[in-house]
Order: sequence, then C-alpha cells, then structure tokens
Amino acid sequence: MKAETFTHLRCMVGRTWGPFIFGVVIAIASIAPAEEQPPETDDSDSIAAPMVSGFDRFARHDELSPTLAGSLLISELSCVSCHASDDQWLKPKRGPRLTGAGNRLQPTWLKQYLANPAAMKPETTMPHVLSQLPESQRGEAIDALVAFLGSQQQPFAVIKAGGALPVVHEFWKRGDADRGNKLYHTVGCVACHDPDPDYETVESKPSAIDELIEQLDPEEIADLGLASEARRVDSVPHGDLVSKYSLRSLTMMLLDPTKTRPSARMPSLRLSPLEAADIAAHLLRDQTTKQIEIQSNDAPQSTVEQGRALFVQLRCAACHDASDALAAAPAKPLLELNAAAPESCIENPAGGMPRYAFDDEQRNAIRARLNARRIENLAAADEVDFRMLQLNCYGCHRRDERGGVGRFRKAYFETIGHVDLGDEGRLPPTLGGVGRKLTPKALAAVFHPKTVPHRPFMTARMPSYSADAVDPLVRGFQEADRGDQSDAVDILPPQQEMADAGRDLVNTGCVGCHAFRGESLPGVVGIDLSGTTRRIDSKWFYEFVLNPSAVKKRTRMPTFFPDGKSNRPELLDGDVQRQISAIWAYLQYLDKEPLPEKIETVRSANYELSPMEKPIVLRTFMEQAGTHAIAVGFPQGVHFAFDAEQMRLAIGWKQRFLDARGTWFERFTPPADPLGDAQIKMPAGPLVIVDENGGKHEGENADYRFRGYRLDAAGVPTFLYDVAGWSIEDRIEATESGTLRRSVTVKRTGKVRSNTSDQKLRLLAHAAERLKPQGDVAVSDQHGLTVTLTEDLARTGSLRRSGDGDQWLIPLDSHDRNTAILEYRW
Amino acid sequence: MIRILVLALMTLTFPLSMVRGDEEEYYRLIDVSVAKAATDSRSKNWKPAPDGLALEVGGLALLDDSRLAVAIRKGEVWILDGVYDDPPDNVTYKRFATALHEPLGLLYHNGDLYTAQRSELTRLRDVDGDDVADEYLTAANGWGVTGHYHEYAYGPKLDGDGNLWITLNIGLGLKDDQLKRIVPNAALGYRQGRWRGWGMKLTPAGELVPVCAGMRSPSGLGANAAGDMFYTDQQGNWVATNSLHHMRPGAFFHHAEALASMNEPGSTIDGVEKVPSGLPLPQALEQFQQLRPPAVWFPYKKMGQSTTDIMLDQSDGKFGPFAGQLFVGEFTQAGINRVFLEKVDGEYQGACFPFRLGFASAVLRMTQGSDGSVFVGLTNRGWSSLGRASYGLQRLVWTGKTPFEIKEMRAQPDGFELTFTQPVDPESAGDVNSYRMTSYTYLYHATYGSDEIQTQTPTLMAAEVSEDRLRVRLRIEGLRPYFVHELNAAGVRDASGRPLLHPEAYYTLNRIPNDHQTATAP
Repeated sequence: MKAETFTHLRCMVGRTWGPFIFGVVIAIASIAPAEEQPPETDDSDSIAAPMVSGFDRFARHDELSPTLAGSLLISELSCVSCHASDDQWLKPKRGPRLTGAGNRLQPTWLKQYLANPAAMKPETTMPHVLSQLPESQRGEAIDALVAFLGSQQQPFAVIKAGGALPVVHEFWKRGDADRGNKLYHTVGCVACHDPDPDYETVESKPSAIDELIEQLDPEEIADLGLASEARRVDSVPHGDLVSKYSLRSLTMMLLDPTKTRPSARMPSLRLSPLEAADIAAHLLRDQTTKQIEIQSNDAPQSTVEQGRALFVQLRCAACHDASDALAAAPAKPLLELNAAAPESCIENPAGGMPRYAFDDEQRNAIRARLNARRIENLAAADEVDFRMLQLNCYGCHRRDERGGVGRFRKAYFETIGHVDLGDEGRLPPTLGGVGRKLTPKALAAVFHPKTVPHRPFMTARMPSYSADAVDPLVRGFQEADRGDQSDAVDILPPQQEMADAGRDLVNTGCVGCHAFRGESLPGVVGIDLSGTTRRIDSKWFYEFVLNPSAVKKRTRMPTFFPDGKSNRPELLDGDVQRQISAIWAYLQYLDKEPLPEKIETVRSANYELSPMEKPIVLRTFMEQAGTHAIAVGFPQGVHFAFDAEQMRLAIGWKQRFLDARGTWFERFTPPADPLGDAQIKMPAGPLVIVDENGGKHEGENADYRFRGYRLDAAGVPTFLYDVAGWSIEDRIEATESGTLRRSVTVKRTGKVRSNTSDQKLRLLAHAAERLKPQGDVAVSDQHGLTVTLTEDLARTGSLRRSGDGDQWLIPLDSHDRNTAILEYRW
Repeated sequence: MIRILVLALMTLTFPLSMVRGDEEEYYRLIDVSVAKAATDSRSKNWKPAPDGLALEVGGLALLDDSRLAVAIRKGEVWILDGVYDDPPDNVTYKRFATALHEPLGLLYHNGDLYTAQRSELTRLRDVDGDDVADEYLTAANGWGVTGHYHEYAYGPKLDGDGNLWITLNIGLGLKDDQLKRIVPNAALGYRQGRWRGWGMKLTPAGELVPVCAGMRSPSGLGANAAGDMFYTDQQGNWVATNSLHHMRPGAFFHHAEALASMNEPGSTIDGVEKVPSGLPLPQALEQFQQLRPPAVWFPYKKMGQSTTDIMLDQSDGKFGPFAGQLFVGEFTQAGINRVFLEKVDGEYQGACFPFRLGFASAVLRMTQGSDGSVFVGLTNRGWSSLGRASYGLQRLVWTGKTPFEIKEMRAQPDGFELTFTQPVDPESAGDVNSYRMTSYTYLYHATYGSDEIQTQTPTLMAAEVSEDRLRVRLRIEGLRPYFVHELNAAGVRDASGRPLLHPEAYYTLNRIPNDHQTATAP
C-alpha cells in the first residue's frame, strides 16, 4: 500500500516547502487572506513562518490558549537567549552546538544557509541574522563566519565495540540506503518528518479511528470531537541534507542527536551504528559524489578571527555553543518588552534585531504571552502538557484528547511480521493516566537508553532521553495523575498460596494474547506479563483487569468480569477482588511459578523428550550424573542416567523423561533435571570393579576408560568401557514391569599387564548404607531400590558391611568372557 | 605535512562505487538455508524460528561431490544433499546423529565423521549403511569438564601428519560444584579443569597429546598448505585482540589460567613461576620466556571483533586469486577476513586483510566445496552479530571477476613488499603519498582486551613499482619488531583507475628479516 504523500496536500497557506517552488508560494500568498500575508521584510519573497510542531498542530486550530501557544513559541524560538526570564517554561530551546561544526557541516551549505536560512531550510526556527547588515557587507561577513565555523573542530565520538555491540570499522561508509529507507519509515522518523512518497508500506488494516473518520462528514467529525484526529499533521522539515552533511557527520548525528542538540527536540531512536549509517545513506542517497568527511578549513586565521567577532556581535553565540565565543551582552529582559512596540523582533525589526518570519497567528500568540507577564499557579497537568508540546511527544502519543500519531502517518506504524494487533499493537500507547498506571521507577525507565522495548512487536521505537530532559515529565505525570486514590480498590496483599488460583485464572484468558517469561501460545504476540507487578500500580491493575475499556478506550483487551462478576465462580468463591489479587500474586511470583498450563503444554511439546517407539538418548550435564551424563529414556516410562566419567549408573526415574531446552538452546548450559517421579539413586560406583587386595573398593580407580556406545536395532545403547585389560559392554533397558534390566559382559582384551595377574574382577551389585537381603537373590537399600541377580551369581555373592556403606560383591571368575544379568526395581 | 594534507583530501570524497558494499560484485552469497527471522540472540528464552531445522552450524564436513554433513549446536548431525544448486530449492535433509553435547566441529576422516563435543572427541560410525550413525565411539577424552558454559571444545581438524587437533576453551569464574572438578594442586593456584585453554592432538596411534597452551576462546582451527596447524583466539582477559597462532609444542599464547595444567603429566610447558601483567607485549615477551606472539593480530573493530574458523583455499583458483591463503571467520560482524602468512627466522608471521562482510549471521564455520565455493555456517546464539538471522547456511561463490586487492604483504629488511591481484597504475602506486602507515602494539594483561598502544607513524621513504606492475616495494624507516604495522593504500589505483576494494592491510611484524635472509612463503 502506498501511503498518501504529505507535501502535495499540505494546506497551510503561506507556507513553503522548498526554495525551488517560490513562484508557487507567491501565487498562493497573493490569494491568501490579508492577515496571512507574509511579513514585510527585505527578504519577504523567500520567507516561511518558522515551524513549531505543537503550535502548528494545535494552536493554529485554537486548541491551545494564546498564552500557552505564546509560551511554546518563546521557548522554541529561544527568545530568552537574549531576553532574560526566570520562567522555567520559557527556557530557550537554543540551536545546535557548533563546537564541531567544522567537521560536521559542509561549508558551501553553511554559506547558503547564512545568506538566507529560510531559503535553505524552509520553516527553520533560525532567524535571518545577517539581514541586519547592509547587502554590500554580507558576502564578506558570511565568508568570515564560515571560516570561523570551519575552525570549530571536534573529533567524533569513538563507539566502543563489544560482544554485544558489533561496530564495523568506519561504519559510516557501510550504510545501505535500502535498509536505511526501511528503517526511516518504520522506526519512528516519520512521526515527525516527511515520508518518501514512493515508499510502499505493507498493506495493513487502516486504523479503526481513521476508518470511522472516512465515513463521516466534517460536521459529524466536529460533533464527535474528532476534528483533531481527522487533521493532517505537518512535518518537521529536513532542509537540504544532501548539501549539509557528510555521511559520517549525519551518521554520528543520528546515532546521538543530543550531543549536538541537547534540547532533545530530535531524540535518539536507539539506533545501532550500522542502522544510523543506513539511515544516513538513505537521506543522502542523492549525493552524486559521496561526501564521507567534511573538507577541512584552510581559511587564514585573520578571517577566522573576524568570523569569531561577528559570531559574537550578531548574537549567534546566544543560541549556539562555539569554542571561544561568548554571548554578547543580553538584550532587554523579557518582562520589560513592549508587545505593542512598532519595531520589534516580532514585527518590523530594526537595527540589530533578528528577522523572524512570523505570521500574524504567531505574533498574536507571542504578544498574548508577553502581555500576560507572569503566569503563576500552574497545575502539574499543564506542566506535562507543555513539556509534551515542546518535545513533540504528541507526534506519537495521545493524552487527554490531544495528539497521537497524525492521520495519514499511521500506515508507517507496523508490527514486526505484520501481525494484526489492532492500533494498540502498532501505535505508541496513549498516555492518559500513565502517571498513575506506571510505578515511578518504571516510568523513568521508559526513557532510559538501556531499557529494552516493552512492546517488542512494534516497529516504532520509543526514543531515549536523558534524565534531565524528561525529569519534569516523569515527575509531572505522577503529580498530575495520582490524585486522591482513597476510594480506589487495591489488590489484597499477595500471598504465594494465591498464586495457584492466579495461574489457573490466567490460563483461561490472559494466555490468549500475552506471553509469560518469553513463552507464549503459538502465534500469540503480545506484551510479556513478567515484571508486571514491578511496572504497574496495583490499583490501576485492579481497575483495568476488572473493566479494561473503562480505563482505556478502544482497547482490545476484553473483560473477564462482565458486569463486575467473575466467570470462574468456582475459584476463590468467585470473589472478584480475591481473583484479581490472585492473578497479581501469580505474576509477582512468576519467576518461580510454573508457566500457565496451556503454555506449559505447548512448550513441552517442543522441548520435552517423550520416548514413543524407541529410546531417546541425551548427552548433557546433570547434577545427579555429572558433566559426562548420558540420559536414556524409554517408552515404558522408566529412565536412567549413566555417568560416562565414573562409569556408573547414576539415577533412575519414572513417568516423564527430560526437558531438553536447556541442553539444546541455553547459553549457560543448565543441568538437565528429571521431569518424572520416583527418582532413585543407583548403587554407588561402577558395576565392575578391580579388587586388588580384597579390601574395600575406593571408587576412584582411574583405570576406567569410556569407549563410547553402540545403538542396537531397538535403539538401546550399549555402553563400552575398559578397565585393567578387560573390556566391558554394559546394556541397560527398561522392562514392561517398570524395572531396569542390565546386562554386563566382560571380555579380556589381551592387553593385561603381567603384574596384574592377582587382580580380581568383582561385580559390585549394590552399594549403599544398610543393605538388606531380600530372599536369596536380591538385596535392597533403605530408599527402596532392590537389585536382583540371577541365582547362580547370587549364590556366590557376599554382603560386606562397613560403617559408611555396605557392598554386595560377587566374584567374576577369570574366564575370557562372562555375562551377568541384574534387575533394578524401585 | 603536505602528504598528510593530500591524504586527508583523498579520504574526503569517493565516487559512489568506492563505498564498500561492492564485495558482492566479486563474491556472491547464496542462502542454502537461513532462518526466516532474527531472534534475540542473547535471550534466556532463545527459540529457533518456528519452521525448519535449527541450522545453528557448529561443524561442516564435505562427504562427496554433492553431500555436506552439518553438525548443529543442539546436538545433531545432518546430511544435506543438493547444496550446490543455485538457487538451492531442492535441498534434502537426513538426520545422521543425535544426542551430541554441543558439537563444535566436524571432520570426515577415513570414512567416518568426527566431532568434538563438550566432554569428548567422538567418532560417528554408520555400520549398517543406512546413513544413520549406530556407533558413537569415544576417540579421545580426559579433559576437564567442570560444567561451566564457556568450556567449549572445538575440532577436530586434520594436519599434514594425520593428527586430529582439538582446542579447549578456558572456563570463566568457576563456582560451586564446578570447583570440585578443577585440576588438583594446580600450578600457580589457577582454578581450571584439566587442559582447559590447551590445544591437543590425537595421534594416528590414538594417543591424545597436549601440545600448547594459553588459549581463551579458540573457536577456530585449521592447517595451512604446509600442513601446520593454526588456531584463532578471541579478545578478552589476557587476550589484547583477536589473533592467529601456530600451534606447536611448548608454545604459550595468552591466557594465564591455562597454566593450571602446567604440572600435569604430558604438559609441554614448565618452569613458569610468575606471569607478568600490565606490560607492553614486547616487554612481556622478554620477561615470560614461554610466551609466543601471535602470527597475526586482528586489530579490534578494524578487522572484526571475534575470530572463528580457519579455512585454507585449496581450490587452485576456483575461489579467486587467493589460492593457498587462509580465510578466517568473523562472528560479531558476520564476515570473513583473509590472511597471508610467511616464515621469517623459522616462525610464521603475516598480514590480515578485510575480505567479505554481509553474511546473514555470525560466521562460525567454513568449508570449501568441491567446486571451490565456500560453505559458511552461521550461528549467533549467546552473543550478538550483524545480519538478519540467528543461524543458517550460506554459500560464497566467486563471480569470476578479480577484485583489485593487496594479495600479499611480505616483510623486507627495510620495509614491505606488496603483491597485488592486478597490475597497478604505476604513477599512483609509485607515489609514497598513496600510502599511510602506523604501527602499534598491545598490553599483555589480565584485563579484558587492550587498546592499541605506543602508536607511531613510520616514514615511507619510497614506493617502487615492479616491471610487471604487480608488486610494490615500500621502503620504510622506523619498523619496530613485535608491532602491528597498519597500512592504508587508499591512493593506489589499478590500470583503469579504480581504487583497491580494501585498501587496508595489517602486518604483525614479530621479526624483521635481516639483509641476508629472504622471507620464505610456506
């Protein structure tokens, strides 16, 4: 689907979008209503009113009070840089830092920009400063300023690479314009900037609200209060990036915009170095000769110094940081300004006054603010609103009927993999009541550069901000939204025992749309509920779960408590408060609790090994069988693990066999744990031992050598190992009667050393504390393991007792071949 | 000063074609099987893509002219047929073996497949000829496995004498039960499992012999054309940056904790009483007699971030102009680099060059197909990499066009000799201003990685173009032994005026040949 283009349809009269179509602008201007005539200045033919997103989107449609609109313009146009004021709202945005302009900006662009800022970058907030000089002096002044800016050299940051961060050498040369095009249109750039008319978005359902708007006529739209949502939202202009930047300087700007623009109006979109290079390659795709670096400055020092003096004199330094250039003396304080003066920065500027390209709406707003003098007693909600206007949070988020992704931009907000999750899945969340919803810590974490995305299915990214930039917001949200909550129902104190009921409840509903600890039902893409109790305020949670759409309009989340009643009356007496509290308790203990049953079942299907026709072998680490463990599971539901280092049958268990996920796919190789029941420790030590002196076998005889295993037609492994010139074949299999049957054959390998002739081979049929004979052919231990031998062998055996463990030993005579059969029952 | 200006200007602007990404023109990538979607490679809940085989390649072995055996990290070996098709639309998969514990190598040797799993080197035998292994025979074991995840075992690879080589990762910060499995009475008090951080070989007689030590994460092994065995190491504690080493008896490379096994029977290293830490490499080499410098350093970021497999180009030109050279995999940046080696004073040293980026995921394994193309096995689980997927198998095919590259870089008593893949433009190649050189070394220390230190700029005195225009002799003042000499030949053009595809080369100049010696290519 091709999204509609913006520029063609921009309807604001008197605005321009490029120096190449001035003629058209003039034509439009000439038929525009009188109050929107471009201001009369000597450069009137190329002026476009400065763009301030919040002003253009809301104030021009009477959705901001004049004083609020004026405050916004005063801060965004940096008036207070010259006209001092202690009003926090009016703190100037200021322009980019120019301390590194010399290796970041192209000198030819600087030249043209200084000659007429709005011509090079229509709608720029930078005033035409040089217009205060006579035409004849401008050329020389520009050369000097460009020379000075060229001398402002600051090395680019070195990006530290690591195992978690690939940083390709000179990554700014490696950008791929196609990838950049896709990133530009998906990660969030086009929330503020123009999309490319040729970019094809993936066909997705139009936003529900847009569909509604399509069907209404303007009056109905107004009646329904949807006028704001139905409005096209203008873009923040890029200007001519191609002539402005080098690949490297644009890449580095995109990677960390606040380094040069501390105002954070352009935020960091958490790009990787290569992503930044990709987007730069896309934005600079029309450079005929790729500019990788900026040409160095070779102007004579005298010109540089002349430029430095001009930079101060023309008050550039009031808004732009540069090395060794202090701001000139301040102008008249803001409070002393006369809004109605015949000559001022806002109208008919004279002398050293900067030339802004205001239109009357803007002038009126600024005058309204100036006339209001001091504004006191602002509510926290106003504070939040103002900061959101400044940072243009409204470009993405809606709060209290204001803002949100602009109409006709929504097509660029997608889900990864194009899953249909409705607007909630692709558009940034609404922020109404967010200060109450999120815990203070979680709220602050949203802005942090290291926080991982909470909605990983969304292609758009939440930009990161420094704590300084968003501190007023974080505090303001809470103050504004956390009103009197004494009437609110809270969840009951979470108790571990409630978690079982909670697990049952989430299994009925939540698992249909949500993930738990990274696991979810097939095809389910949704917010992971782990960590919920750390992120979300419990009272908000209660209200939301009870009746989602009452808290969040148009949410897809259904209620599981229709009319405030539970549809699981059998649980916790059907008590709603206890049930929601149980869900909370389950989520609180989710790290230790089993996954919801439905998810657990699906997960088992993927990773649980369930022998059906043949045995299944898994080589892994096991606490009970060591780091050379070989686990074997049988369709009969009897399983064992063999320790191939100590040559011993380590444990047996029944029913379910093993979950292989940790062994297959986890970096940190957790030991595998038997899933089933009836885990039993098998006799200590190897089955066949060399008994040198008739004494007790120490079990640490290092002469054993594991030789591997062989699978027979039935899939049963026979373990192969050697000891003292004997080779041993050891086969263990499950029987229908729930026992393990073991057959061990010893053979001479012919490599017996002469000095071992007195070695005696013995079968260590059982070894444990306090062994007990069971009839003539069996011995059992106190844990319930009974080992049975064939009668001929059992007859020759003897129980050797000792304080720390009894042994049932059977001599194996020294024929060339000998087989013993044992059975393990428990 | 003028030279610096010229060079500065030279680097400012490039025609579009000079921005990299052109590698595709010379070496083309074909997806044999690549995961459809990227997954969070570091997630604790990592899962393979929902469809298809989780081809997280741990080992590759050519079986015959059409079939390729692939070991995957979940513990299986698969036999793939139809892998040379282009596009490979009809690849068939047959499972040959299961229940291996993270196999990280595969070798087809004397009719059987061999693989190193965590606890042993295993020989997989198909006795009844149904293409499914019936015997999992232990070819070698006996190294310590404490249960720490980092204790990977890699290999085997075959050397010129018929030995099968493996390498063993060091453990990192062992604790709890892991400490019950360390070398008892280890030398210098280091706590590691037996032979951890060592390279070992299984002789044709079946004896497993420890050869050399000091490895951190030796994920790649490979023999050169002379049959000598090399391994790559990865930056980390004790390891300044990624490196390539010749494995030979008694050599010690970096990681001190490998000395835990110094007093074990069979050890080839003895007498280390103290390990210096915090010294520049040349001084550390003086103080630590057993320490051997790598044959090649891969400067961090510039030449990747994690070296992996080593592959000798044995195609006699079917893979382009680099026959007989080594190719080294790059994990984090999803690429392959190239290495030229020569022997000076009987020891290997040489240069590395960028070769190809843009693989779909981390490059862990490479093997050359019978047509000269290279199968590249990918997996990034547990770490991070560039690329669009978490795992897969790709094939790299030479398009038949010869890239303009520095093919060889040889040390000379007074500089270097460069050999190019194509004749140079004598004017640019004969101009010293077409070249830039810096040299630096690293700190030998217990901490993670090292910056480049003691950086200097040697002086380029002359650049002399050979009569056939394929070679340039650079005369340089200020060469320093044991230092990496980084060359950027950005100004050199070929006969048609095109610049080098990769102007960078990094020579590890352990030894400067003297006037009477000529360096010999192996």
